[in-house]
Amino acid sequence: MQGKWKTGVIGAGLVLLTVTVIVLGGCGGSGVSGTVTLSGSTTVQPIAQEAADLFMKDNPSANVTVQGGGSSVGITQVSEGTVNIGDSSRGLKDEEKNLGLVDHKIAFDVIVLIVNPGVSVDNLTGDQVKGIFTGSITNWSQTGGTDGTITVVTRDSASGTREMFDEKALGSTKDQPVSLVTGAIEANSNGVMRQKIASTRGSIGYISYGYLDKSVKPLQFNGVTGNLQTGLDKTYPLARYLHMFTKGEPTGTTEAYIDFVLSPEFQNDTVTKEYIPMTKVNQQ
Amino acid sequence: MDKSSSISREWIVKKILFVLAMMAVLGIVLIIVLVTKESIPALTKVGPFNLFSTTWNPKTGDYGIVVFIVGTLLTTLGGLLIAVPLALGTALFLTQMAPQRMGTLVTRGVEILAGIPSIVIGWIGFTLLVPLLAALTRSAGTGILAASIILGIMSMPTITSIARDALETVPSSYKQASIGLGATRWQTIWHVILPAARPGLLVAVILGMGRAIGETVAVALVIGPATTFPKSLTTPTHTLTTKILMEMGESSGLQRSVLFAMAFALLLLSMGMILTVRLATRKKEFAR
Repeated sequence: MQGKWKTGVIGAGLVLLTVTVIVLGGCGGSGVSGTVTLSGSTTVQPIAQEAADLFMKDNPSANVTVQGGGSSVGITQVSEGTVNIGDSSRGLKDEEKNLGLVDHKIAFDVIVLIVNPGVSVDNLTGDQVKGIFTGSITNWSQTGGTDGTITVVTRDSASGTREMFDEKALGSTKDQPVSLVTGAIEANSNGVMRQKIASTRGSIGYISYGYLDKSVKPLQFNGVTGNLQTGLDKTYPLARYLHMFTKGEPTGTTEAYIDFVLSPEFQNDTVTKEYIPMTKVNQQ
Repeated sequence: MDKSSSISREWIVKKILFVLAMMAVLGIVLIIVLVTKESIPALTKVGPFNLFSTTWNPKTGDYGIVVFIVGTLLTTLGGLLIAVPLALGTALFLTQMAPQRMGTLVTRGVEILAGIPSIVIGWIGFTLLVPLLAALTRSAGTGILAASIILGIMSMPTITSIARDALETVPSSYKQASIGLGATRWQTIWHVILPAARPGLLVAVILGMGRAIGETVAVALVIGPATTFPKSLTTPTHTLTTKILMEMGESSGLQRSVLFAMAFALLLLSMGMILTVRLATRKKEFAR
C-alpha cells in the first residue's frame, strides 16, 4: 500500500516537472515570431535550411520553410509574392531587373579545377578543359603531361555546381547543352568529389574553393589561379555569388532571418565550410 | 464479473491488434500510391520510349534508365553467384555433417554477419576491396565485381539461415532410407535431400536476391558510379538505387519524377520476387 502511494507521488512530481520544463521552454526565447518562406536554387538550399534550423532554435515561435525548384523558380516566385525570399545561384537577367527585387549576397563561390596529386600538369586552357570533359582529350600527354589515361569526375546531373561549371567552363547553353564524356564518374557532393580525385589515378574534377586541401592538386585555368581575389576581380571566370532576393526591402521576420544569414557567427561558422563567407569578401 | 471483464478486455486487445495489423497494410498502400503518383509525370511527359532508352542527360531531356536497370540486374546476379554456393555449402554443412559445437559456432557467425550494418561492409569494400581490385586489374577497381562481392557477403546470411531451415524440414527417414539402401553421404545429399528441400531453397535464394536488389549505400561506395554500361567487371557503372541516391538531393521537376519512376521499377521487381516466393511455396504444399 505504502509502495503504491510513493510511486504515485513520484509520478505526479515527474509530471509537474515535465509541465514546468515545457512551459518555461516555450516562454524561453523572447525572439521574433512569424513565418518565412523560401524557394529557389538547390545550391543555396542547404545553407538556407541550416540557417533556418538555427534561426528557429533561437526563435522558437518563428517558422521558416525552405524549398528547392531552381534559381529561376525562386526569382519568379519571390517577384509574384508566392514566397518571401527567392534563392538564386546566379544574378538577375536583364528581363528580371525591373521586378523590384532587392539582392542580398550571402556567399561567394569559386570553383577550382582539381587533379590527383600524381598528375604532372599545372595549368589547362579553356579548350583543353572542354576537350577533356567532352572526351576528345583522353590522355594527359595530350595536354603536356606525362603519359596516363584521364579519368573525368563530374557532379551529378542535378547539381547546381555542375550547371555552373558546364556553362562557364564548357560553354554549355540551354539551346546547345554540352554532353560529357561517357563513363565520367559521378560525385554528389564536394566532399565525395575531393575523395574520388584523391584516390583515383589520373583523375580530374572540380570543387568549391572552401573544400581545397592537400589531398588534391588545384590547377590553373587559362593561366589564372582560382581564389578569392581573382574571383572577385573577374580574371578567374569560374566564380559566382549566391543570392537571396526579396521583393522590396525585407521587413519583420524575413528581415530578421536574412540578418541572421549575414551575421558574422553564421557566416564564419557555417558558410565558410563550403564557400567564401561574405565577411571575408567585404574585407577585400 | 470476472467473465464479462475478460470478454471486454479480449475485445479491446482484438481491436488494438487489428488496428496495428492494418497499419502495415495502410503503409504499403500509401507507399505504392505515393510512388505511383509521383512517377506519373515521368510516365506521361517523358514516355516509355524515352525511359527505356540508354541515354541519360536531363539537360537534353533524355531520361533513359536502361543503364541503371542493367546495373541492378548484373550486380544482383553477381551477388547471387557468390552468395548461393557459399550459403548452400554452409547450410548443408550445418544440417548434414557439423558436430554440434562446430554447428553452433558457425550459426552464431552467420547471425553476426547478418547483423552487420551495410554501411560497414560498404566502407570496408571501399577502403580495402576497391584498392585491391584496382591493383590486381590495373583499373579503377570500382564496378560490377566489387558490388557483387559486397552483395554476396550481405545476402549470404539470409540465404544460409532459410536454406538451413528448408534442409532441416526434410524428414530424417528420407536420409536413413537412402543410407540404408547403400547410398554414400554425397549421393544422399545430391539425389535425396537437395531435391526434397528444393522449394524451400528457392525461397532462400529469392529472399537473398531481395536483399541484394535494394541495397544502396554500400553499392554506391563501390560501383563507381558513372552513367554508362560497364565495359568490364571493374569499370564504373550505376544501379537503380545508387542513381536515385545520387540525384535525389538536388533534383526537381521532371528529373525528380523520373527518379520516382525508377523507385517504381524497383517496387515492381521486388513485388515480382514475392510473387515468385508465393508460387514456389504453393508448389511445396502440393508436393507433400
